[in-house]
Amino acid sequence: MIYRSLVDFDAQFRAAPALATWVCADDAHCRFTLGEDGRKFHDGTRLTAEDVAATYNSLRALKDTPLAAEFANIAEVKAVDENTVDFTLKSADSQFPARLIIGILPAGLIARNHDFARHPVGSGALKFVAWKRALTLERVADGQRITLEEVRDPTVRVLKLLRGEADLLQGDLPPELVADLKTRPETRVLESPGTNYSYLGFNMQDPVLRDVNVRRAVTLAIDREAIARQVLVGGSRSATAILPPEHWAGNAALKPAPYEPEIARALLTQAGVKLPLRLVYKTSTDAQRVRLATIMQAQMRPAGIELEIRSLDWGTFYDDVKHGKFQLYGLTWVGIKTPEIYRFAFRGDHAPPVGANRGHLQDAELDALIDRQDWQAVTARVDALLPYVSLWYEGQFAAMRRDVTDYAPAPDGNWDALATIKKRSEQ
Amino acid sequence: MLKRLLGIIPVIFGVLLLTFLLAHLIPGDPVEVMLGESATAADRSALRAELGLDQPLAAQFVRYLGKLARGDFGASIHSHEAISHLLAQRIPATARLALLSLVIAIAVGLPLGIIAALRHRRWPDRLATLSALTLSAMPNFWLGPLLMLVFALWLGWLPVSGMEGASSIALPALTLASGLAAILTRMTRASMLEVLNEDFVRTARAKGLPERVVILRHALKAALLPVVTVVGLQLGSLLAGTVITETVFGWEGLGRLLVESIEKRDYPVLQACVLVIALTYVAVNLLTDLVYARLDPRVRFAA
Repeated sequence: MIYRSLVDFDAQFRAAPALATWVCADDAHCRFTLGEDGRKFHDGTRLTAEDVAATYNSLRALKDTPLAAEFANIAEVKAVDENTVDFTLKSADSQFPARLIIGILPAGLIARNHDFARHPVGSGALKFVAWKRALTLERVADGQRITLEEVRDPTVRVLKLLRGEADLLQGDLPPELVADLKTRPETRVLESPGTNYSYLGFNMQDPVLRDVNVRRAVTLAIDREAIARQVLVGGSRSATAILPPEHWAGNAALKPAPYEPEIARALLTQAGVKLPLRLVYKTSTDAQRVRLATIMQAQMRPAGIELEIRSLDWGTFYDDVKHGKFQLYGLTWVGIKTPEIYRFAFRGDHAPPVGANRGHLQDAELDALIDRQDWQAVTARVDALLPYVSLWYEGQFAAMRRDVTDYAPAPDGNWDALATIKKRSEQ
Repeated sequence: MLKRLLGIIPVIFGVLLLTFLLAHLIPGDPVEVMLGESATAADRSALRAELGLDQPLAAQFVRYLGKLARGDFGASIHSHEAISHLLAQRIPATARLALLSLVIAIAVGLPLGIIAALRHRRWPDRLATLSALTLSAMPNFWLGPLLMLVFALWLGWLPVSGMEGASSIALPALTLASGLAAILTRMTRASMLEVLNEDFVRTARAKGLPERVVILRHALKAALLPVVTVVGLQLGSLLAGTVITETVFGWEGLGRLLVESIEKRDYPVLQACVLVIALTYVAVNLLTDLVYARLDPRVRFAA
């Protein structure tokens, strides 16, 4: 919101022009031409090709950031004139424009080592004002002040909304609180389908889970449809792959796994597993995650699976996941826009710390498909190998006071609509 | 007294060693938290070296002690802010909250305990005991939102959470005070009941002293001894209680800083927070001993 990037995404998640349009001579040379929109930094200076070059060059020079690795493939960034910038890559990358979603910073401030973390200066719709306890922003178009406050306890968030201490809440509330807010005269709730993908990850090195039939049995032992309908917020739907079917690289032919505990039990017996099969499932201490885990635990029982839930503090949980210390874990991929996620999460050489192949999936055929960027075939292959149990794309919602208008929740839960939000009394 | 003071040194050293070891032994790597999963191995080791995390534990501990001796707490791994600066912001907020809670707890607990003892087995006693039991059974993370519901939402008297305005401290302080007030009520009641049956109270009454003087000057002074110990010991739990209360009420104090530092695996901040809390414990215990000696002539420190 504070910054603007060269590229954004359209509804099918294809790279779309934001600050710039582009033409690629081949997969290693792209020329970006800046448009007129969003060309004024909050400090009054004009955004030029020099700023774009300085931003990406500063990222490549950084050591302690994952972004440096992300842009390691750039050989050169060159400002041709005030409005034109050329990117040259070390190796071909057909997805390159979709990577340029980094906010552009003023070159002058970069040169002076400005502390952007504490005093951000960009050219986006909202301008940074102050960050003391809460983050205060100002909308450039009309001077509207917007304050973002961190309130950790979900009940307290709801109470603040009801009391009028907050105007808007978005995401991360237990569904029963959302349901309650729908009935209140002073608030209204807007829901929309989500795209953030929740899944269970298997440890493929586990002696039992190594067998794809066992993994299939676990997949068939979860009634995701019932959970999405009854326990999650509106707009939630069963998932089939990391990227949703409407994504340009999504696979609409895949169908969500049904709930078939009897078939699951038969698969386990065929695989020679002694029932009940005991599996340890690791999750965070988040109340909603633990609740979902207990529901899945109950659903798995008729299939002959005894799920033991271990709920760990975030640091410990995430560390265990990255170090392969799990049989099953549950996480959500948030804000994923490009199919490169399949390389990052599943390619054989992308186990942590290089990538997120935490279950150590090794499949030469999948690796070849990823390298060919044949995403339809990749998703089909992943669906056959089952390194993940696809659960759901959780719906998004925003709860607001009745006098708040012109705001709608985004599918990935971003806050972009703050650029248009209004409070009726101020109209 | 000097011996008592010298005895604190090994305690503090133990605290330093324990917090250092615990912080480094809990799973989770700050470098991975900072860099994410796509950073290269070279980036990781560079940052690890920059933070001194590649050194052996013993060397890290010695370096830590050396810096502490110079009054340097170091900087947050996460925000790079000086920890002394962070503490200077957070300690006053927690101190205000803890002290106000202590005052509320004493103001409520002592009179309730005395009344309960004086009206032993009658309705004021039953009511005080029931309230004390109820309050001590309520966890802060539940009582907090309950108080918000009543005082902020239904009555509209106080803000739900945050630190805006003078009245914002009321609800967190009440929440934090509740447990201590309950314990104080029960302790004062039990202690008073015991003292009221002592010979010297009977003597005071036999001398024809007014009941007010007997209770306040003779009985209460003796009954306060165990209560002082409890207040001292409970001040520690009060500080521990701020961890939850501050999180629920969005109170930017030491407790919340501690929680954040654990989540981010920000070792230096975590160690500094635990150290401050441990030192407060030690200081309060020392103070309790001193007050105890003052109240009870049988306890005297060897010079």
